Amino acid sequence: MNKGYVIKRILYTLFIFLIVTTLNFFIPRIGVDDPAERYYPPQGNMSDVEYNIIKDLTRKQYGFDVSTWQQYLRYLNNLLHGDLGTSLQAGSPKVVDLIADRLPWTLVLSVTNMFISVLFGMLYGTYAAWHRGKWADKLLMNASTVTTALPAFFLALLFSLYMGFEWEWFPAYTDPSLVSSFDWSLEAIGRVAKNAALPIIAMSIGGIVSYAQSTRNSVIAVSNEDYVVTARAKGLGTKTVMYKHVLRNALLPIVTSLGMSVSGLIGGAVVIEQIFNWNGMGTLFLTANNTNDYPLMMGIMLFLSGVALLGNLITDLCYSLLDPRVTVGGGRR
Amino acid sequence: MKGALSLIVKIWKHPQGRVGLLIAGVLVFCAIFAPLIAPYDPYDVTARAEKGLSPSWQHPLGTTISTGQDIFSMLIYGARVSLMVGLITGILTALIGAVMGICAGYVGGLCDTLVMRVVDVMLVIPTLPLTIVLTNLFGKSYFMIIFIFVIFGWTGLARVIRAQVLVLKNSNYVKAAELSGAGRWHIMMRHILPGVSHLLIMNTALSSAGIMVAEAGLSFLGLGDPTAISWGKMLADAQSGGALLFGHWWWIVAPGIGIFLSVFSFMRIGLALEEIFNPRMKRAGAMHRLFRTLNNTYIQKVFAEMDEAEREEAREAAKEKGGAAV
Repeated sequence: MNKGYVIKRILYTLFIFLIVTTLNFFIPRIGVDDPAERYYPPQGNMSDVEYNIIKDLTRKQYGFDVSTWQQYLRYLNNLLHGDLGTSLQAGSPKVVDLIADRLPWTLVLSVTNMFISVLFGMLYGTYAAWHRGKWADKLLMNASTVTTALPAFFLALLFSLYMGFEWEWFPAYTDPSLVSSFDWSLEAIGRVAKNAALPIIAMSIGGIVSYAQSTRNSVIAVSNEDYVVTARAKGLGTKTVMYKHVLRNALLPIVTSLGMSVSGLIGGAVVIEQIFNWNGMGTLFLTANNTNDYPLMMGIMLFLSGVALLGNLITDLCYSLLDPRVTVGGGRR
Repeated sequence: MKGALSLIVKIWKHPQGRVGLLIAGVLVFCAIFAPLIAPYDPYDVTARAEKGLSPSWQHPLGTTISTGQDIFSMLIYGARVSLMVGLITGILTALIGAVMGICAGYVGGLCDTLVMRVVDVMLVIPTLPLTIVLTNLFGKSYFMIIFIFVIFGWTGLARVIRAQVLVLKNSNYVKAAELSGAGRWHIMMRHILPGVSHLLIMNTALSSAGIMVAEAGLSFLGLGDPTAISWGKMLADAQSGGALLFGHWWWIVAPGIGIFLSVFSFMRIGLALEEIFNPRMKRAGAMHRLFRTLNNTYIQKVFAEMDEAEREEAREAAKEKGGAAV
């Protein structure tokens, strides 16, 4: 791999991250002179004197008593030490700890969803590409327009209605004691699987179809390449050509595109988590929104942006490993 | 005006586009004449004592469980929000994307760097969470929601437009215009903009479809305008109002189908436009038909077809070059 390219990419990622942190710092400060007003908006039954006392306390507690520039530098310094701020929740928990608590639960949903989507999507897409124009391919063509127009949360509600309430296959709402009673025993893992089933089904339908669609297109594009013609012309059998020449090359871009969807893995399930009352990052964010918990909201945002940047960086570097051409032109555009 | 009409005729002639146009037409009709079509006032939560009715002739989709609103009337009024937010956002996104993309591609230099850096930043920030934060900061009116969607929507289009403009910039007719002393602004408006207009029209249709889904999601989370009736909010009301518990599937399916039809119709129109504007896509469609009839020897046929297409392109290119030389 080209060393200069790697260094350039990493520096560029850091530069973008700096811009994102700056935005992240200033967004809650838009429109108010004093960020303390954002953190504790005035209540109806409070006199001015009382509110000023609370504002002063908030200002001291969250360090708003120095100039904005000093606040910004302190914020960057805290970030360097891995501190995303302190939540306004009772007991002032650290935002990092709250994220660390919820992250695994979101990952249970999204990683399983991604695994199922990619596996079945690739299998089906390859099958459809091999049998172009037959029923499997036609079904895929029609399914892709239908699933992109059907929001996942609508499917989730339907599944919750039928599989959850009517037929009682799976719990329609997540058991509230699921998180607190989890102890790695087989029985607990089974309970998690049962509760996660409906959200995962609702999420993965769209995913399977979209991965199948891109796999199909990729396989068809590759089977028109010159080297496939050559392989056919050499007299190799259809199976050999498909496995050795077509599939290997067709699945590469799909695998690398996984890196791009890393941020979706963590932040993409807000609505689904809300419907099933799943105890993940999405519900954490919505609770923060409902309680005006700005430090927590902005902390989650920064975390998600950082993960997205990291995912893009890794994808780019993997790309340059797999396809050396990209390092020559100064990056993939 | 004439161009717009002929474009609609072209979409109408395209079999998939016709489906899209028909559905979109019905939805727009419903949205405009909602007060005339709807049998009841959907905002009326007090007049009827009949709550949680099943579908009947009086109430085609029943009434809501807690407030007794007529679901069919709500469904018709919901088309207004979805179409308004989708269309206005789609059009504004296309405008800003066009300006940014053309500036970045044609003017280049600092302008290009600046726009592309902004695009890079926007692509990294998670859209839904930031939208939630911004609606929290600036209020939940539809004006605000459209504004936020536009701020985040233009980036992808700007990238595509920029790439296309970079190609056009090196074309002979732009070079000729530059040599004959045309100003930058004139070239951008008269020569570059028409060259990317097909991308803009297509993007308006497709991004409107995407925005409709996003708007439904926001309203579902309770982040839309609380005073208006939208399909996303109807779904949220259904969930919190006990539709799941009592098995009132019509209360969930009705707004779901509303969302589906609006998104589906705009996607159909967008895809039809794509095929109308991009003849190579048509050729791919022809290939697809070919596979259907000849699946045993299709590979050879495809290669023959591809070769022919390539030769044709080369011939066209040669003709163009010859024309330019003359």
